[in-house]
Amino acid sequence: MKRSVLHSVSLLSVVGLVALAVGLLYSKGTADLAAQDRQPIPFSHEFHAGRLGLDCLYCHRAAHQSPTAGVPSLQLCMGCHRNMDANQPGIQTLLDHWTRRQPVAWVRLQRLPDFVYFTHERHLANQVQCLDCHGQVESTPYTPRAATYEMGWCLACHQQRGASRDCITCHK
Amino acid sequence: MKLKRRTFIKALGLAAAGSFLPGCEREVHHLVPYVLPDDEIVPGVADWYASTCRECQAGCGVVVRVMEGRAKKIEGNSEHPLNQGKLCAKGQAALQGLYNPDRIREPLRRPEREGRRPFEPLAWEEALTQLTERLRKVQGPVIMISRPLSGTLAELVSTFMRAIDGELYFYEPGADLPLRAASRAAFGMDAWPHIDLAGSDYVLSFGAPFLEGWLSPVSLGIAYGQMRQGRPLTRGRFVQVEPRLSLTGASADRWIPIRPGTAGLLAMGIGQILLAERPSALPETQRRTYERIYGDIPLDRIAALTDIPREELVRTAREFGSAGAPLAIGGGAACAHTNATESLAAIQGLNVVTGRIGRPGGLRFYEPALFSGTQSIPWLTERSLGELAQRALSVVLLYDSNPLHTAPPSIPLRRLFEQADFVASFSPFMDDSTSAADLILPDHSPLESWGDHVQPTSFPTAIVSLSQPVVTPLYDTRAVGDTFLSLAHRLGLSGFPRETFHAFLQDRWRRLLSEQAGTHGEEAFAAAWAHHVQQGGWWGRPGRELTVTAAPPPLPHVPATFDGDDQNWPLYFHPYPSPSLGQGRGANLPWLQELPDALTSAMWGTWAEINPHTAQAHGIRQGDIVRIVSRYGSIEVPALYYPAIRPDVIAVPMGQGHQEYGRYASRRGVNPQSILAPLFDHRTGVLASAATRVRIEATGRPGRPVLLEPSALDPGHELLTIGKARSSP
Repeated sequence: MKRSVLHSVSLLSVVGLVALAVGLLYSKGTADLAAQDRQPIPFSHEFHAGRLGLDCLYCHRAAHQSPTAGVPSLQLCMGCHRNMDANQPGIQTLLDHWTRRQPVAWVRLQRLPDFVYFTHERHLANQVQCLDCHGQVESTPYTPRAATYEMGWCLACHQQRGASRDCITCHK
Repeated sequence: MKLKRRTFIKALGLAAAGSFLPGCEREVHHLVPYVLPDDEIVPGVADWYASTCRECQAGCGVVVRVMEGRAKKIEGNSEHPLNQGKLCAKGQAALQGLYNPDRIREPLRRPEREGRRPFEPLAWEEALTQLTERLRKVQGPVIMISRPLSGTLAELVSTFMRAIDGELYFYEPGADLPLRAASRAAFGMDAWPHIDLAGSDYVLSFGAPFLEGWLSPVSLGIAYGQMRQGRPLTRGRFVQVEPRLSLTGASADRWIPIRPGTAGLLAMGIGQILLAERPSALPETQRRTYERIYGDIPLDRIAALTDIPREELVRTAREFGSAGAPLAIGGGAACAHTNATESLAAIQGLNVVTGRIGRPGGLRFYEPALFSGTQSIPWLTERSLGELAQRALSVVLLYDSNPLHTAPPSIPLRRLFEQADFVASFSPFMDDSTSAADLILPDHSPLESWGDHVQPTSFPTAIVSLSQPVVTPLYDTRAVGDTFLSLAHRLGLSGFPRETFHAFLQDRWRRLLSEQAGTHGEEAFAAAWAHHVQQGGWWGRPGRELTVTAAPPPLPHVPATFDGDDQNWPLYFHPYPSPSLGQGRGANLPWLQELPDALTSAMWGTWAEINPHTAQAHGIRQGDIVRIVSRYGSIEVPALYYPAIRPDVIAVPMGQGHQEYGRYASRRGVNPQSILAPLFDHRTGVLASAATRVRIEATGRPGRPVLLEPSALDPGHELLTIGKARSSP
């Protein structure tokens, strides 16, 4: 009797662990939880947005007119770096890419699942600030995920601001 | 089976282990920005470019959705007067022509004629030099066989061929040349008429597949909708006459299953009754001519020959005669007989007898659109192709045309390729004919090219559509217009001042816009050009309607001839162009392959449609392989019971059975053309594809037709049961 209870408990826990592991793996596939900010070039938001005071939209210039914010073209980077000191190894890599006309394959850190329709354009048009979702990127050298980007988090803000909470607004 | 706990746990363990597999590959998503930004591209925002569909001759206007430089979706251009925002499946699937993995990606040459060594790639420079040398040293005739070209490209290619003393021919399988010939015979107009379906209230169609792929299917589909439902008080009626109920016929109010080859006779019978019973709009002399020709054969004899009861004939004629705006049209497989032109002339004559020429709801002719200098380019038919193959040719140029697949092997066409000294193809895909070439200079996809298209059939609005590249070329291909300009320059020909086809096209449009819209000066042209590229073409001037004055007498009746006697070859063979694949052009596009046939739900293959009574008499079960034998060969295909076909007819869709046409089409299904007899419409020479008689043999082997709804063909299917219950007392 006792043995069979032990058996069932261990069986259930194994099944539970398997389910947990599988669930975690799948959730990784759809929404990156916290991919490491290991970029091909150690780009610093703290330096560019914080110390230099560049506006977010100067580089992510599609954000106010597109669902995606966009990543700056290599030419935009070179607009400044062309005439600058190239002693640092990161900048050297950037110049190499430019010489070879090869784009930098940045690692994507923020990603929503495919079943969510999100557009930067509408949020910016409604006076949501970049830092409201992405945090104080100008004060950290790397770019951590500033929020969970899960449905409850979205809805909390939608409720607070009186935005639509219809399913179809985000799940088209 | 009793599931033991141990088995359950094992299964669970396996399933769990299996589910880890997708997780093993750690996905890293990259964001790859542009090196140089494109001013026209905003990431995540679609651009829509207007262009022109090139999947058939109709030339519908399209808009292509492009995101980050990649074409994603094709829709109809809502501003285009022809298709008004609608588009057919072929047009939608054109996207797969662009991304097709079997596109020819670079110039190729065949190292040797005999033997099986594959094609070898070579550089453009070398390929152009090779062809130039061939053309420079040519001894005998140079011919070019092309799909029908339009607009500026037609002008460029025909000028080039004239400059090198070559001959340019257009070839399109199943071309409706008999229809044009019939218009010439019945009205003296050398054009495809505008069929004003929308204004008609009674359409009598002799097999015209106007809702499938005939003439301009999208605009005819729109007009059909207006005919049926577009007017508040009138719902037009529609009667279809054909041996096998087609997809178009399935929309009709009534189907008249006529004996193959007798469509013209039925038209004569109806004409006879109309002339006898109703006052005619015709002048007296013309009326007498029509009476003599339509009255040539007595009504009872017509009823016996067409296998249509006299009462039905009289009823149809009276309905037609009493309608406000009756319209008689003919075409398609039902008229693909040796007497096609005479039959179509008799059918079109019904519109003359009822005074429907140039009237709303009738057949109308408009002044041809501009750029019409290409009308003099001769069309090849299967008969003239056969004659061409007898000549000793020096160089054969081939563009986007596949006669080795679309013409039956009973016409010895292969000679044309084997005996020519040199064959060069500009086709974008390796097909049965291009694979017989010595050199291939592949064309761009239409979505990568500039071009224009002149409305080929009569239409109330004059239309010249524009095509523009919506993506940068994916491969090392070249637009055929640019290839011809390069050849002209290398050969030192005069009359080709421009370096690129784009500049050549603009020159042509400069002339068009200055003549038509009074656009003069470079600045005004630049603005107008940008406007027309954005709009998808030039249109607006209503076409001037032509008055048909000369109405020559219709052609006298000629009975259709068939290959094979009715004793040994008891069935009529009825191949018809597949509504989705056409005569085979669309077979390399998976979207079209997987589009279920609307009547049988079959896809990805070939099948034979057979009347259940005939099938059962031969011991053929649903889905069994049936052997169809003609005097020229045999094919084996799965049989599908098809109640809407005459018991003495067996129908097979065309489009499949390619030897070479990429991974989706090669060696898939069978080509019904392969057993056809070399019989032609004797006036135009177009293949009489429905003039072969066959016999069928049961093989006893079950076939594997791919059906979306296998149950729909089951005799016990509930729809059929409902039908039975209703008809029983």
